[in-house]
Amino acid sequence: MKKILGMGLLACSFILLGAVHGFGAGGPKTEPLPKAKTIKELAARYDSGKCLECHEEVHKQWSNSLHSHSILGSPRTAPTIITAVDAGLKKFAYSGVKEDKDLKVEHLMICAKCHLPQLNEATDDVAQEIVATIRAWQKAQKDGDEAKTEQLQETIASLNIGCMVCHNKVALIHKYADGYPQPDTVYGSKDGAHEAEGLPKMAVAPAMGESILCGQCHGQGPNFEFDHPSQCATLYGSYLFSYMAHGGSESCQDCHMRKSGLGHDIQAYKDEKMIAMAVDVKVDGRSLFWRKNKAEGVVPIGVIDVEMLNKAGHVIPDG
Amino acid sequence: MTAKTKDGKEVYKEQKIYMPFPGRMGRGKEMGRGPYEKSGLLRETSLAPGAHVHETFEVSYPVIDVKKGDVTRRELAADELKVAVKLWYLPFGEFDGNEVAWFEAEKNLDLKTEWVWH
Repeated sequence: MKKILGMGLLACSFILLGAVHGFGAGGPKTEPLPKAKTIKELAARYDSGKCLECHEEVHKQWSNSLHSHSILGSPRTAPTIITAVDAGLKKFAYSGVKEDKDLKVEHLMICAKCHLPQLNEATDDVAQEIVATIRAWQKAQKDGDEAKTEQLQETIASLNIGCMVCHNKVALIHKYADGYPQPDTVYGSKDGAHEAEGLPKMAVAPAMGESILCGQCHGQGPNFEFDHPSQCATLYGSYLFSYMAHGGSESCQDCHMRKSGLGHDIQAYKDEKMIAMAVDVKVDGRSLFWRKNKAEGVVPIGVIDVEMLNKAGHVIPDG
Repeated sequence: MTAKTKDGKEVYKEQKIYMPFPGRMGRGKEMGRGPYEKSGLLRETSLAPGAHVHETFEVSYPVIDVKKGDVTRRELAADELKVAVKLWYLPFGEFDGNEVAWFEAEKNLDLKTEWVWH
């Protein structure tokens, strides 16, 4: 018993040592930047175009992913935000939203937590501007004004999960241990200098290659941190409590980035490679005469057997 | 899944739906659709990771019961069936242009044998 306890204490001391020294290259909590006052300001702050010159291939991959137009969506996300405002927020007695001008960042964060986490660096005016822009885009579509539709769509798509969301803002998860993301650092798998204006440093984000990084958004169920919990994705929940619980060992990045060969073009249900990796289906058929019962007699039937295997690390579908 | 006779007449159509049923604000028995009202799960029929799901469909061949005097004979109206199995991914629960066909297969079934029910 003493031996077991001794080993336990030793393990604890290693863990504590790790915590004291830390793992990541974060730092102390920094003063937040002044709030962005317009979509343009917020988009500029997180503009992935700045990374294009050196990371052309990765940028090209990312541009094809839904991350590059996370507010616009497929494009179903933007209209769903409007539904959330009109059918949800405006109808709830205590939301404080009766008209679009009542909207605050806090209200849109039920969507933006994942679709635009940097919205918490903007003023309430930006929340209202986003809704107004989506409404104008919908109207332009309805009016058949293609030029205006395209222009507004571009504005909506300028708000996205760009490089600096995953590689800075949400890169460090355990901030007490790893520190807070620093504004001059890009986080990934390497330490060192980074030749970019305003971002002279590179540092390792310990969980960059782990499923937990994706789990921050691709969820476990209701987001209980909100006054009114929202729920979209439950993928990470099924990954943890079903896939891992049944012996799974691969990460989100293993399948969606590496094995698929898609890299930063992170795809899901629309991509042929991901579909082939997700489900095996086998169909067999035969025919026979079924002596069913006295009332119905012999019934000639075809029997079709369909077998499906979910090879993914999460439920299909999700949402 | 559908089954058609050789001349294109549909004699069978059946579907199975796999999806989460999120509760509407985590209470009662109503399902919610929008993210502002979905909370928890009332039911879950999605394909679980690692799960083998086996479905069986029984397609009745079309028959005609022919009466001759006191005797009724059942005859096959079609002895061949073309079966189509499709697996669709409907991101928004509808065939709204966003659906993606994940799997398609066709099987030809037949009961080409001399058969009289007696």
